Amino acid sequence: MIEQLGNGLLLGLIVAIASVSLSLLYGVTRIVNFAHGEIIALGAVLTLFFSSSPESSFLYLDRFSPLGSSFIVSSIASILLCGVFGALLELCLFRPLRKNNYGNVAVLVITIGLSIFLRHIFLLFASAKPASYALDLQKREDYFGIQLTPRNVQVLIIGSIVMILVGLFLTYTKTGRAMRAVRDSSELASVSGINSDYIITLTWIFSSMLAGFTGIIQGVINNVRWNMGFLILLIFAGSILGGIGTSFGAMFGGFIIGMLVQLSVGLSFMDGHTEAKNAIALALMILILLIRPQGIFGSKERIS
Amino acid sequence: MKDYKRYIIALGLLTVSFLYIFISNETGVARIFVNLLTFAGIYGLAAIGINIHFGWTGLLNFGHAAFMGIGAYTTVLLIPHALGREGVVVETGLPLPIAVVIGMLAAALLGLILGLPTLRLRGDYLAIVTIAAAEIFRLLIRDFEDLTGGVYGVIQFSEALQSLRPNFITNLATSIEVSSSQLWVGVITWILIIFTLLFLNRLQKSPWGRALRAVREDEDAVRALGKNAVWLKLQSFMLGASIGGLSGILLAFNYGTLQVSTFVPVLTFYLWAALILGGVGSLAGPALGAVIFWVIISGTDSLAEIFFENANGQQLAGVRFVFVGLLIMFTMIFTPSGILGKKEELLLDIK
Repeated sequence: MIEQLGNGLLLGLIVAIASVSLSLLYGVTRIVNFAHGEIIALGAVLTLFFSSSPESSFLYLDRFSPLGSSFIVSSIASILLCGVFGALLELCLFRPLRKNNYGNVAVLVITIGLSIFLRHIFLLFASAKPASYALDLQKREDYFGIQLTPRNVQVLIIGSIVMILVGLFLTYTKTGRAMRAVRDSSELASVSGINSDYIITLTWIFSSMLAGFTGIIQGVINNVRWNMGFLILLIFAGSILGGIGTSFGAMFGGFIIGMLVQLSVGLSFMDGHTEAKNAIALALMILILLIRPQGIFGSKERIS
Repeated sequence: MKDYKRYIIALGLLTVSFLYIFISNETGVARIFVNLLTFAGIYGLAAIGINIHFGWTGLLNFGHAAFMGIGAYTTVLLIPHALGREGVVVETGLPLPIAVVIGMLAAALLGLILGLPTLRLRGDYLAIVTIAAAEIFRLLIRDFEDLTGGVYGVIQFSEALQSLRPNFITNLATSIEVSSSQLWVGVITWILIIFTLLFLNRLQKSPWGRALRAVREDEDAVRALGKNAVWLKLQSFMLGASIGGLSGILLAFNYGTLQVSTFVPVLTFYLWAALILGGVGSLAGPALGAVIFWVIISGTDSLAEIFFENANGQQLAGVRFVFVGLLIMFTMIFTPSGILGKKEELLLDIK
């Protein structure tokens, strides 16, 4: 079990950041966004496209060649583009739907359609094979008994800093406070002079950028796949465990879910059943919904 | 829109799509038709099950693949079969009709087990729970190889159905050069659809059917009138699940082998696309939607050739799914009541 601790920390971090972004988006817009996993994949795939060497021909049909820029520049550009994509989704799709009073269920079905659409665009453009970034291979080393590569440690540190920054942003900045105000009550927020359309657009941008960041670190730790958006079920599990609509709760829930999935690989009754590791996390999510649907940190009025 | 106009539109769409198939294929048109109509029938039957959940009762079931899967696995494992990898051959088993009934009951039971705790959840939570439950089901089937064959699947079970094939089906299949086993599955499927629709038509007009729709419209009012709304929802969940189980059984016989990869979440999304296209809440809508849906996705193969020279299987599937995604989005945005559905029957603003 202990040998899985490193992997557990990494997956926990990924699911935690993704859960915050999903949960914030849900809180502010009330959209159960099944396409969120695809924005994660977008970040990873764009970075792959920007950073791979121009000679590598494994992706993007054969007509485009990758740009071969440095990894850091590629990552930043991808995160910004994910933000732009989020803004476009809000302006071209979800805002018109909101203005025309489409119900929650209709929007949910539309996000499922969007998710299938985007995921297979990635399949068409980024080939079916898992791909890795052009980073040198590293060996796992021992850090306080936990097996990690030096790059994994960097990812853990950067990821933790991002999470702290997100927390500070939501708690102390004017925009962050406005987001939380719209989340808690959009009517009260607009009475006190907050332009909720503006805040919702900002939330889309912010949440999509976070999702793109998640995709990049997942690509660094594992690899880039067209269907990496399938992580969405674990993200839902994390958000619901911590309390969907919360920020710190979702962070906590996501971390627990990620750890649980990896650590359960080491359990004795799981011998030879590695595929079932996600099943345990999903079962925990269902259990939480049954006994405490608002999640560990959620408040009751959010789910009524 | 008047009802008869909707049927004219439906008929027109069907004619155009069949003409399209005739024109775009020079050879083997009969084979393409039998394949398409068989799959469409099976998907249509499954979508009828979801329609009972969503269209009649307002329950968002995104885990239909699990109901189809448990029906298929239960039935197939009860009749003579062989497990894919170990080559374990089971030569004795129950007669097919009894196995089918047990398969449908198993699906209904899964519906009961899943529905009992979850049906009090709000709409969008129910969607997440059902999709997660279907994934758990699939992962368990995949991992418990001794019982289910795991990724290697179950084989050699078709004989139980094909031995019942009447001679005229075999003769017909030979004369029009199609697979006789698929034609037989297709014929059975459409007969079952007709019986299911006749049965549901009566059910819809019964007091029970009206009570279901009342649950969809206003659960509190139903409670105030002394009906047990939760029990009504459970009954609806079990009925739709057993129809899903039946379609899963047919799907297994159509493929001839039973693979766990058939029951991925995307299967459920396919069914939703067919349902939304045909018209949520309407009786024949899901079956019609499934036919048009299959025509559309078979048409995308020739489209893929435009984008890719020598498209491989994965690229063909990719183009196909890109269109499925767009189809779901555009239908939901522009005609949420589908071809045959009625706008006033559509409850999509579950808060």
